[in-house]
Amino acid sequence: MMISVQLILLIILGLLSIWFGWRVFMTSSMVRSALSLLASMVAIGALFLVMEAEFLGVLQIMMMGTEMSIMAIFMMMYMMDPGGLGEMDMTHQKNLSIAAASIFSLIIAIVILAVGWGPLATEIPGPHEQNRLLGMEILKRSMMIFETAGITILTGMIAAITVALSIKNNRN
Amino acid sequence: MELLLTALIIAIILFGIGLYGALSQTNLVMIMMGVELMLGAAMINLVAFWRYLHPEAFSIKMFVLVAMTVMALEGAVGFAIATQRFRSSGSVEMEEAADLNG
Repeated sequence: MMISVQLILLIILGLLSIWFGWRVFMTSSMVRSALSLLASMVAIGALFLVMEAEFLGVLQIMMMGTEMSIMAIFMMMYMMDPGGLGEMDMTHQKNLSIAAASIFSLIIAIVILAVGWGPLATEIPGPHEQNRLLGMEILKRSMMIFETAGITILTGMIAAITVALSIKNNRN
Repeated sequence: MELLLTALIIAIILFGIGLYGALSQTNLVMIMMGVELMLGAAMINLVAFWRYLHPEAFSIKMFVLVAMTVMALEGAVGFAIATQRFRSSGSVEMEEAADLNG
């Protein structure tokens, strides 16, 4: 009974994330695009919650809520027609893109259906135990990866500020 | 098995939409949105593999955290490039970025 409820929730949230993901590229309004992407990312976070990865689900929703709000502001700043009133076409090589996306998706779908995945796990640790085990993983086996992620964030921050700085001296 | 397959098929479709967006859009910010969707699809795959195949392997969750870091950094560096591009040419349309050649 529980499994069927989980499957129904997976399908509903999956369809929501796909629908909003599709709407990102189907609307002329940049604000709607950003809000659609936000909704799609929240649906992905809810999918994580349904798959009992509570920490990651909450983290995804919080991070994406912030990121997409900032993205919406940038889009309004940089787009020539942020409200979409002019119905500008902002696409190119449309047929090629549709063909590439379809072919890649089809190949991956064939691989997924052809692979024998083995038995599914039915029992998983509770949220509290999951967080403890993830903490142990971060502080033991994956510590270097976690540290690398931290240094990468620092590097990204420095790179972003350096790139965005106005180069007044070289302008002339 | 249908739970795992459902999650993977959702991820495939999202990846396809993201790939379409990244290839077809002319605006830098919209291209970044396509990349975000593809990374989101990859994270669904990882969580599904963790939940339904290896719930004892917490390195998979660690990998999801790394993917989230990549998403945040892609946003930060991408917007920095957009800011600089907007400042120098007044537009973030990639069709007008032919001057970056050579």
